[in-house]
Amino acid sequence: MLKTVISPGLCAILLCILSGSLTAQQTEQPLPGVAGEFVQQILSRSGSPTSVSVSFQNVSSLPADSQETVQNAIFNAFRGANVRLVKPEQAQAEVQIAFSEDWQGYVWLATVQQGTSSQVVIRRIARRQQVASSRAPSLTIRKTAVWQQDLQILDFFQDNQNLLLLETGQVSLYANDSGQWRPRQTLGIPHQLPWPRDLRGKLEVHSGHIDVFLPGTRCSGSISPPSLECRESDDPWPVDSGLVAFFSPRRNFFSGLLAGQSAGATVVPFFSGAAWQNSDQRMWLFTGTDGRARLFQNDLGTPVALYTSWGSAVAAVHSNCGSGWQLLTTAPTDTVRPDSVQAIEIAGREALPVSAPVDLSGAIEALWTAGNNQVVNGVMQSQVTGKYEAFTLTVTCNQ
Amino acid sequence: MKRLLSLLPAISSVLLLSVLAYGSSRPRYGGTVRILLHDRVMSIDPLSEEDHPAERDRLAALTFETLTTTDPAGRVRPNLASFWRPDPTKRTWQFQLHIAYFHDGTLLTAADVMASLAKSNPGWKYSAPDRQTVVIETPTPTQHMPELLAMPRYSIVKRQVDSAGATTLIGTGPYKLSQWQAGERAQFSVNDDYRNGRGFPDTVEFQMGVSLREQLLDRQLGPNAAAEVPVDQLRPLEQTNQALAVSRPADLLAIAFLQGDSSSRPGRKPVDPRVREALSLTLRRADISNALLQRKGVPASGLLPQWLTGYEFMFPAATDLQRARDIRADAAAYVVIAPIMLAYDASDPLLRQIAERIAVDAREAGIVVQPYGEAHVNSKTARASINADAVLLRLPLESVEPSVALAQRAEDLGLGDNVPAILGATRPEDLFEDERKLLENHRVIPVAHLPQAVWLNNTVHNWQQLPTGEWQLDQLWVEGAR
Repeated sequence: MLKTVISPGLCAILLCILSGSLTAQQTEQPLPGVAGEFVQQILSRSGSPTSVSVSFQNVSSLPADSQETVQNAIFNAFRGANVRLVKPEQAQAEVQIAFSEDWQGYVWLATVQQGTSSQVVIRRIARRQQVASSRAPSLTIRKTAVWQQDLQILDFFQDNQNLLLLETGQVSLYANDSGQWRPRQTLGIPHQLPWPRDLRGKLEVHSGHIDVFLPGTRCSGSISPPSLECRESDDPWPVDSGLVAFFSPRRNFFSGLLAGQSAGATVVPFFSGAAWQNSDQRMWLFTGTDGRARLFQNDLGTPVALYTSWGSAVAAVHSNCGSGWQLLTTAPTDTVRPDSVQAIEIAGREALPVSAPVDLSGAIEALWTAGNNQVVNGVMQSQVTGKYEAFTLTVTCNQ
Repeated sequence: MKRLLSLLPAISSVLLLSVLAYGSSRPRYGGTVRILLHDRVMSIDPLSEEDHPAERDRLAALTFETLTTTDPAGRVRPNLASFWRPDPTKRTWQFQLHIAYFHDGTLLTAADVMASLAKSNPGWKYSAPDRQTVVIETPTPTQHMPELLAMPRYSIVKRQVDSAGATTLIGTGPYKLSQWQAGERAQFSVNDDYRNGRGFPDTVEFQMGVSLREQLLDRQLGPNAAAEVPVDQLRPLEQTNQALAVSRPADLLAIAFLQGDSSSRPGRKPVDPRVREALSLTLRRADISNALLQRKGVPASGLLPQWLTGYEFMFPAATDLQRARDIRADAAAYVVIAPIMLAYDASDPLLRQIAERIAVDAREAGIVVQPYGEAHVNSKTARASINADAVLLRLPLESVEPSVALAQRAEDLGLGDNVPAILGATRPEDLFEDERKLLENHRVIPVAHLPQAVWLNNTVHNWQQLPTGEWQLDQLWVEGAR
């Protein structure tokens, strides 16, 4: 399991501290560098004394062992600046350093006392996020980052040469340039009315041909030469292999009316659907807008099982593990909170978790089975960075 | 339906106990959200003088938008403005507007923004190079203009005056005010044409002046989506595993002296600064936080809370009765020390208890404090006519950007002369020094920082409360509708 945790003392232990403005992009800086800059600030405010006394106070959640590491770094920085560390009565300046914290990180404060004058130096240091991992029961979900950006991503496609991002109002094309994605073209999606809140979209690319599905809008074009033509349309969207359904033009869900191979069939309105072949059984699963997931076997007349406590996104993935098919599903959390993805197998009518949940730093915005059914494309908005992240999920068997 | 009790992790500021009835995460459309407010709001004009401005802002945010906004992690985000840039001096800021429409169907223009902002801050200069660009020029550098403009008082409002002289307020937000009974009830209907997509609920209703205690006793909370909870009523709700959203301790509870030392204000004489200092030394802040605020508040020594600045602990707040007596005695040698008339909001029983506790503490140093309830103490205009020496105020935190928050607090406390320096502060040390100066003459005595809390029905999803206690309801949806 991948788990995002905030470890208060981690920065110091790892000698790896994020520094900089609290609201600006954080950059990594090693502890000696941060300590050195802090000490330089102290010295420049106090007229570069040649001897100082230094005392420490910890009013933060910084653990004792981390505090010691930081203190040593500060001592070394003073020594490196050719400043002698002496007793208060011998010092040209008394420096009282406090390790404090605010809601976003650590705050180091130094009060420099020289005679009757006193100066305060403050430095903010962001906490670092650590990615840790833990065991998974029978298979492991592997998450691979593809792209991140400030603009909303609705869906994406990637192969060796191309990365296409479906964004609000445009498709952005990137080309592979020695392993780096370089911007190539932006194709606009003209649209008169405001898009629905919780906008969703589907991007399909086959043999260089682009198909875009948005609520009430359909676009077609090509990668080379880059082109895209859009029109108002209620055409059904491809949901999964052999599963096509109509999407509500002003909302965020499928109406329940199916098309394609299942044309004419109707299920309850749903957010997400999956279709797969289990031995000789044709299986469908829909996450309904009523909060229940429904499993259908061979026919779409009556569900054979109902599940609660599932998230609203689901995607089928083909693997070499277990029965060969798993469903990746999100957690039943609110979309303003971090989400997770877990693999589930359907055994008979029972839904069995077969992986530990993968904790994410934000809510899943999209989850679609991609390409050869062995990959699931996901999009989320990170609550840590605020950015939209495109990623792929695959499952691997545990030994 | 199976009910899943889950303890959700905190998102930066929010402690949320949530009982999820639905197994879902994607928002659903429709339905009515009914919210109970503890206090009464008389106008949703973001510039109106209200006894409870934080609650006014909760209503106004549905209808009026700001150029920028702040997300729960404290990042400033585009809202009506798509982007902005300052000049190198940070005195001139240029904002590019999104295409947006007022509820009357007219396009939002730079002229509308200038007219609205000029009401909010007449001290700035405004110009419009084109219909979609606004330039703001400030007399002194403003380091965090985007964060400043995210405050509700800078909401963009079109004010239309009809032939009878009545003013209609028009916004661009996701909801339109559809019914209004001042101080009683407000109903907002969804704006289907909202540029970021219509909101999920069809209607949001507010019932004002509602006692949560009575609602709980009557078991009448069921149809409601959310209800404000006073701090002293949190504990019983926690004990019954109710879903609660509690902000960080953001509000400031402080004694504010109404007369400055060189005040020419008629009426009562200024309280001697030594007596003010002595009074501060008598306060048992920890006892107030632990007992009266039931450990939901934290002792305050600064105007901004420790969690926001990291330096509040540097300001002294220890009780020292002997020193208080000495200082009082020193003052008594030069001036006649009259009883201190301390006004508090008469509608808030918790403030009455705290004011009485302050009087008890002060007596131990020979300082007489006479608390009494006033109908209106929170608005600056009302305070100007109060015959009190000091008021016990509860001030909301209006920004998570410390300089903006401190500037607003200084203004709320009648210490606005310091605002330009605060907004121009480039380093945390400067801000620390500005705050130290605001506190040094004891015109304001911090007592505690308090959280804001709201009870949530199980059927409510995506309720977001910022660290300041402000609500962000743009993703809100309720079960039982589609």
